[in-house]
Amino acid sequence: MKHLLINIDGQPVAVAARIVSWFLVALLAAAMFSFAFSQLQYGWEWSAIWQYRQKFLQGWMMTVIISAAALVASLVIGLLTALARRSSFLPLRYAALLYVETIRGTPLLVQILILFYVVANAFGVENRYVVGIMTLSLFAGAYLAEMIRSGIESIRDSQLESARAIGLTRVQTYRYIIFPQVARQLIPPLTGQFASIIKDSSLLSIIAVSEFTLNAQEVNAFTYSTLESYLPLAVGYLLLTLPISLISRTLERRFHFAT
Amino acid sequence: MRLRGAILLMTFATVLAFTGSATAVEPVKPLIVGMELAYPPFEMTDKAGKPSGVSVEIATELAKSLGRPVVIQNTAFDGLIPALKTGKVDLVISSMTATAERAKSIDFSDPYLSTGLCLLLKKDSSAKNITDLDKAEVKIAVKKGTTGHIYATTRLKKAQILVLDKESAAVLEVSQGKADAFIYDQMSTYQNWQRNKATTKVILEPFQRESWAVGIRKGNETLKNSVNAFIKEFRAKGGFDQLGDRYLKEMKDEFKRLGYPFFL
Amino acid sequence: MQLEFCGLSKQFGVHQALRDVTQTVPEFQTLAIIGPSGGGKTTLLRLIAGLEIPEKGHLRINGQRLEVDEVELLAHRRTVGTVFQAYNLFPHLTALENVLLPLVKVHGLSEREALDTAEALFERFQLAGHAQRRPAELSGGQQQRVAIVRAIAIKPRFLLFDEPTSALDPEMTAEVLDFIVELRGEGRDLIIVTHNMGFAREVSDHCLFVADGEVQESGHSSELFRNPRNPLLVNFLAKVLRY
Repeated sequence: MKHLLINIDGQPVAVAARIVSWFLVALLAAAMFSFAFSQLQYGWEWSAIWQYRQKFLQGWMMTVIISAAALVASLVIGLLTALARRSSFLPLRYAALLYVETIRGTPLLVQILILFYVVANAFGVENRYVVGIMTLSLFAGAYLAEMIRSGIESIRDSQLESARAIGLTRVQTYRYIIFPQVARQLIPPLTGQFASIIKDSSLLSIIAVSEFTLNAQEVNAFTYSTLESYLPLAVGYLLLTLPISLISRTLERRFHFAT
Repeated sequence: MRLRGAILLMTFATVLAFTGSATAVEPVKPLIVGMELAYPPFEMTDKAGKPSGVSVEIATELAKSLGRPVVIQNTAFDGLIPALKTGKVDLVISSMTATAERAKSIDFSDPYLSTGLCLLLKKDSSAKNITDLDKAEVKIAVKKGTTGHIYATTRLKKAQILVLDKESAAVLEVSQGKADAFIYDQMSTYQNWQRNKATTKVILEPFQRESWAVGIRKGNETLKNSVNAFIKEFRAKGGFDQLGDRYLKEMKDEFKRLGYPFFL
Repeated sequence: MQLEFCGLSKQFGVHQALRDVTQTVPEFQTLAIIGPSGGGKTTLLRLIAGLEIPEKGHLRINGQRLEVDEVELLAHRRTVGTVFQAYNLFPHLTALENVLLPLVKVHGLSEREALDTAEALFERFQLAGHAQRRPAELSGGQQQRVAIVRAIAIKPRFLLFDEPTSALDPEMTAEVLDFIVELRGEGRDLIIVTHNMGFAREVSDHCLFVADGEVQESGHSSELFRNPRNPLLVNFLAKVLRY
C-alpha cells in the first residue's frame, strides 16, 4: 500500500504503481456510473443515434472551427487591450478598462443574446456564425487581456532599467525582454482559456449556431434518446480539451526555469 | 366481573383505533403532470408565478376525477418525453401533438384538440405557402423538439433550418428579419402575429393538420383508460367549451370571422 | 576623463535628491563616489549614465554638455556601460545571450562578430564555462561579472558601477573587485559608487563625498581619506571605518 503513495522517502513513484492507481480510480468511477445507470431503469437504444452520426460529426467540426477562430481573435484582442490598459493616452486606457470590466462582469449567455439580437441587429450584421465567433473572442479577450497585463507588470522594474541602460528602445524592450518572458508565463492560463472557449462555444446554440451541443440536442429531440445523445457529447468535448491540457503540461515543463 | 369487562372494552377500543388509523395513515400519491409553462394561454404562469392556463385546468380536473392531488412539473418541452420515460412525471399535458414517431416512445390518449402547423412570416416575405419557402436562401426558424422542427428537417430539404430553444427567440428572429418564417401551431402563430403586427404577417391556413393528446408512459393501460374516459366525460359536460370561452374567446371569435374551424 | 556639474538639481516627489550641485572634477581615471544612503550619490551616477533628467542645471562630460532630450540620451546610454547592484541580467536569456543582445540589437554587429567578441571576453575573464547557463544558475559574483562583461563588450567610453558588490558576500565581493581592478589596469575610465571604503581608497584617483544632496567634499583619494575636512565626511568616515 505504501508504494502507492507519492514521494515517499523522496523516491520517484514506480511506473507499476502509477498504472495500478489509475486502474483503481477507473474501476471506482465505472462502478459508480454503472450503479447510477442501473438505478435508472433506462432502456438504452444506441441504434437510433448511430443513424444521426453525421449530425454529431458536423456539429463537432463546427465547434472546432469556431473555437480555433475565436482563440486567434481573442489573442489579438487580449494583446491589444493589455497594451491599451497601460497606455499613457488616458481615453484609450479608460476605454480598455470599461471593456474588460463589462465583459468580465456579465454572463456570456447575456452577452451572446445582446450582441446578436441588439448590437449586430443595429449594425445590420446578419451572419450569426461571425457574430458568435466575435462574441466568444471578445469574451475570452477580456480575460486574456488581464492575464497578459499582469504578466507584463510582473516583469521586475530592474529588468526594464537594465534594458534602458544598455540602450534598448521601448519597442525593443517589449520585443526582446518583456514578451518572451510573458509568453512563457502565459502558457498555462492560455491553454486553460482555449479549453474554456471550446466549452463556452456550446452556449452559441442559443442563437441557433449549429455547433456540437445543438446538434446533439436536436438528435435527442428526434429520438428521445437523451443519455445516448448526451454521453457522446461529453466525450466529444473531452476529445478536444484533454489533448490541450496534455500539451500545456508538456510545454510548461519544457519552458520551466527559475527566475 | 367489572375488571373483565373493562379489559374487553379497552382491547376492543385499541383494535378499533389501530384499524382506523391504519387506513388513515396511507397517503394519496399526487398526480405529477409535466408541461412547459411557456405557452400561453395553455401553459403559463399567473402574476404570482403559479401555473395557470388551459392545460393546467385540464390537469386539475383530471386529477380530481382520479381522486389525487395535482402537481404541475414545469419542464422544457424537449425534456418532457424523457421525463415521462424515466418516471419523473406521470402524464404530459403540454399541447403536445401525437405523432407516430413519438408514439414509439410513449403512449397517447385520445386527442383533445385539433390544430395545425402554420407560418409566421417576416414583413417583406413574398411566400404564399410552405413550398414557396423551400429554397436555399430561405431561413426557417423552428422550436427545438416540436412538430414544426420535425416537419422542417424531414420535408424542407433546401431551406436553412434555425433551431431555437424558445418560442420567443424564434419570433424575435422573424420580426428582425433574420428568419423568413417560423413554423408553429395555429393558435400561437395567431397570437405572435397579433403581438408583432408591425414586423410580421401570417398564413393561418394549416399546411399540416395535427391533434394534441395527453402523453402517458408505455405500459400504463389503466391510467390511459382513465384519461380517455375523463376526456370523453369532460367534453360531454361542455368542459372544453367553457375553457375555450374563458381563455381563447378573442381567438375563437377571430377564427370564426376568418372562417377557420376552432376545435377544442 | 573629466566631469563638470553645473547647478544640478533633481527631485523625486517631495524628496530633494540633489540640490544645485556645482562642481568641477579634474582629470581622473577612476572616480569613487561615497556617502550615506539617500544622500544623492546614486542619483548623481544615474544622471551621468543618462538614466535621469535633472530639473535644473546640466553636466558636462569631457567638456561636452549632456543634452536632456530622450533621443540624445538614448544615444548617450549606448556609449556607456552601467552595472547595477543586482538583477542586471535578463532571466530568460543565457549569460552569453545577455551579452549578445546589446551587441546585435543595439550596436548592429553581425551574429558572427558579436559571438566572437563575447566568447573572447568570456574566455578572458574565466567565465567560459558559464556561457550557456541562465542567471538563476549562476552565483551572485558570477552574475555581476557577466554583467560587467556585457557592459564592456560594447566598447563603452567609460564604465559606471552603482554599488556593484553591496549584494554579495565577502568572497564574491573580492572576485568582482578584482575584475574592476583589472579593468582599471587596462586603462579604462571608471566611476564607482561604493560603500567599500577600502576599495575606494585604494583603487580610485579622485573621490567625491555626496551627502544631503550636495558634493560636500571633492579631492584626491589619498588626501581625502587621510585628511577629511568636511565635518560630515569626518563623521561618516569615523562611523564607516569603526569596525
